[in-house]
Amino acid sequence: MADALILNVVLFLPVAGMAFTALAHERQPNLVRAGTFAAMLVQFALTAWLYLRFDATAPGLQFATHLPWIPEWGVAYLIGLDGYNVLLVLLTAFLGPIVVAGAWTAITKDVRLFHAMVFLIQFAMIGTFLAQDLFLFYLFWELMLVPMFLMIGIWGGERRIYATVKFVLYTAFGSILMLAALIYLVWQLKTTTGVTSFAFADLYGAGLAPQAQAWLFAAFALSFAIKVPIVPLHTWLPDAHVEAPTAGSVILAGVLLKMGTYGFMKLGFPLFPDAARDAVPIVMTLGVISIVYGACLALVQDDIKKVIAYSSISHLGYVMLGLASLDLIGIQGAVMQMVSHGLTAAGLFLMVGMIYERCHSRDLADYGGLAKLLPVYSMFFMVLTLAAVGLPTTSGFTGEFLALLGTFRAAWSAHAAGDSTLLWLAGIAVSGVVLGALYMLRLALRLLFGASRAPHAPLADLSAREVGLLTAVVAAVFWLGLFPDEPMRKTELAARQYQQLVAGPQAVAGTAAIAGGTR
Amino acid sequence: MNVQTLFVSMLPEHLLLGGLCVALVVDMLGRARAVLAIAIVSVAAAALAAVLLALGGYAAATFPGQLSVGPATSAGKAIVLLLAVPVLMLSRDEFRDARFALLALASLYGGCLVVSADSFLTLLLGLEILSLPVYVLVLLAMQRPDSAEAALKYLVLGGAATGMLLMGASLLFGWSGTLAIDAFGRALGAPEAMPRAAVGLVVSAFFLKAAVFPFHAWAPDAYEGGSVPATAYMATIVKATVLLAVVRLFGSEGLAPATAMLVAVPPLVSIVWGNVAAMRQASFRRMIAYSSIAHAGFLFFALLGAAGGRFQAVAFYLAAYGLASVLAFAALPREADDVAGDRLEALKGLFQRRPFAAVVLGLAMLSLAGIPPLPGFVAKFLVFRNVMAAGHELLAVAGLVGSYLGLYFYLRVIQYMFMSPRADGVEATATLRRYAFAASLACLVPVALLTVFPGWVLGMLR
Repeated sequence: MADALILNVVLFLPVAGMAFTALAHERQPNLVRAGTFAAMLVQFALTAWLYLRFDATAPGLQFATHLPWIPEWGVAYLIGLDGYNVLLVLLTAFLGPIVVAGAWTAITKDVRLFHAMVFLIQFAMIGTFLAQDLFLFYLFWELMLVPMFLMIGIWGGERRIYATVKFVLYTAFGSILMLAALIYLVWQLKTTTGVTSFAFADLYGAGLAPQAQAWLFAAFALSFAIKVPIVPLHTWLPDAHVEAPTAGSVILAGVLLKMGTYGFMKLGFPLFPDAARDAVPIVMTLGVISIVYGACLALVQDDIKKVIAYSSISHLGYVMLGLASLDLIGIQGAVMQMVSHGLTAAGLFLMVGMIYERCHSRDLADYGGLAKLLPVYSMFFMVLTLAAVGLPTTSGFTGEFLALLGTFRAAWSAHAAGDSTLLWLAGIAVSGVVLGALYMLRLALRLLFGASRAPHAPLADLSAREVGLLTAVVAAVFWLGLFPDEPMRKTELAARQYQQLVAGPQAVAGTAAIAGGTR
Repeated sequence: MNVQTLFVSMLPEHLLLGGLCVALVVDMLGRARAVLAIAIVSVAAAALAAVLLALGGYAAATFPGQLSVGPATSAGKAIVLLLAVPVLMLSRDEFRDARFALLALASLYGGCLVVSADSFLTLLLGLEILSLPVYVLVLLAMQRPDSAEAALKYLVLGGAATGMLLMGASLLFGWSGTLAIDAFGRALGAPEAMPRAAVGLVVSAFFLKAAVFPFHAWAPDAYEGGSVPATAYMATIVKATVLLAVVRLFGSEGLAPATAMLVAVPPLVSIVWGNVAAMRQASFRRMIAYSSIAHAGFLFFALLGAAGGRFQAVAFYLAAYGLASVLAFAALPREADDVAGDRLEALKGLFQRRPFAAVVLGLAMLSLAGIPPLPGFVAKFLVFRNVMAAGHELLAVAGLVGSYLGLYFYLRVIQYMFMSPRADGVEATATLRRYAFAASLACLVPVALLTVFPGWVLGMLR
């Protein structure tokens, strides 16, 4: 009971924070920053406490709150932690203080509004993950647009208006189709079973006709695919990333993109299992295209932020691959990859922000040999680069390797059954690992090594604040790389449930035996 | 009919009439500034009376066959009157004399009659009492050269609407031999030519009054020509009353396919055209006019739903839409009332100058755009849920995609206020307008209520 209360505090603390920013005075920016940072720390501490208390062996929701909200429509305020969202909520809460600390010196205009928006984003993101009711989920999902729109549009770079409008129009188009689909879905649930409910648990058993499933899946999938983003719906992402302030990029790469993959895992696939199984080859193909295409584009960018933006598209391709493999290991890998990418991309964007604050340039051609100029900076950059590449002992390895392993296992059994398309796809996906090493190392090489060059030398190396927040990110990266067992146990039951919902019980029985053998 | 029924069932009307009489006398005594206070108090009292009648479930046939009151009627009146309170407050900055308040009181009386009309006679009477003062309201802003043109346009087209309504009512009378509005309900399902023509004429008249495509062209001019409070009055009160009358007309009848198309296609075009045209406007009030054309489309869409949920959907939508519109007008900077200040560009950098106004106006835009968790979203959801449940899936999807088109121009307002530096030639006035501030608070409180407890409000509108 007390834990359920804590979960509500975690969710609504940002709302109180917004009130705080409204009451504070614009002439005391440091008070606003410190207050926000403290609130975010508290939020993270509470989330970490709940994470530790989270019981890996208990199926279903934990620390749940269930209150009727719009009884007439069957809408409830239903939130709780489960294996699907526990790591993502932890990640979101973890990045909260880091975002605030990272923006400490970078944001000097409209400080109160900025922190209010950070609070609002945090509220919307955590709400989206915690919601177990489709109406509530959609509410938070859409709410996210507003602070992000303002964040890119007010504190962004030169073409910020174009970028932010594009971002909103892309994502809102997906949302509106999802809205139509969810209204239809709930109405169908009522006509077939007589239950008026938006709860995920009720909707999983809606038992829709295949035709309806295909349409609804298409609408949900389009909405999530724009958010991930999956090629060819990705064009908003580089613009948004490049123009966003560092804090915006960190939030975007760290958490927002995971909304799409989380949506696929929690809703898109399990709500419409028949349609989803039919769509597996398409999703896998698009995932592989995202991996390779994103990597190829990252390889030729001269803007540092664009390299990382395109690398995000590539990395999230693995997540899609792992989810679509419907293999337990692949699913677990996808979850790990989500968290890992959240950490490494957030860290890298932070570091780009730090160098931009010093030199006001993101052009790779302006830089070189930072290893000599900024040794501490360079060390952190190298560690995060290697984590993004997926070097063993870092979180990137755990995620990518497991996702690919799962894909290969699924592809192999399909191959044994006479269909080797998946095997080909999996083979191409592996090339993404090589490409990933290429573009990340090219970035590190051009930035850190060679003749020492920077637009504003001499440069000050990292401050204690910057070292502190990067240390936290790197520590998390190694935690997931060295001890993936503990977090993976907390997500395992959810992965199994997902597999069972999508693949059906018979298919799962087969793979469970294999999984038992290898473990 | 006994005296007690007459007194209780029409209590909101009596309060309005009483307020009007007192205000007239006070005005004649030369205390023009007290008139507004009297008007606000009497409208608020009338609203309270309507709320109490609705909560108490009071139902009576005051004038059998002509006028009756039920919980839904009272709830409708309550919404209209509650919206009128902040609109009256807004008028304080514009009109120092008593004219606006007096005209608005008279018009509201007509609005209440419309909402509880049982026959076409009462309906027409109410509509005329509602509309005539509004023609004058538009004309009141005589400092603007185009006010006269706007008022004339509005008057001529309003007259055309009355004509169509009369023609439709006559045809209905010829077909059914009665002037009761139930005849309209029966005509909805009738296959003969005469009732169908009657339905077409009556619906067209209401399309015109509510500014639905293809009868929408007067709205941008009238909205632009009028003063801010007059525009707010037209956009919220008049629209709300007309829509509540339409819901009453349609009653509990299902729609024949042909009728369904009649109330689906023009509103759908309205949604799309209103939103597309709004993108190109440079004047704030023209933009709001096109936005209101689109919203009128959504409101008529609600009629496609099953009969039981129509009133709830329309009433909730009207409350959400009306509150957001009034909020937007209340937050507008004072300088917005001349031609230069009405430019959207004048809003540039508003957040730097007046943060509270910018945030409030931003909230209003987001609610109009239907972004959750604001009431506009729940309202939109409710309408499309009903349309979908009535089996019009494709129409619902088309309407939703149409609503997506609106997002761009609502966000552009926010973009101007928060992301752009101030435009040249716009004078910043730093004075706090106390009445506009009070008006925005009078809207923000119910907006918060609708946001946090939509289920409770929906239950009351059942």
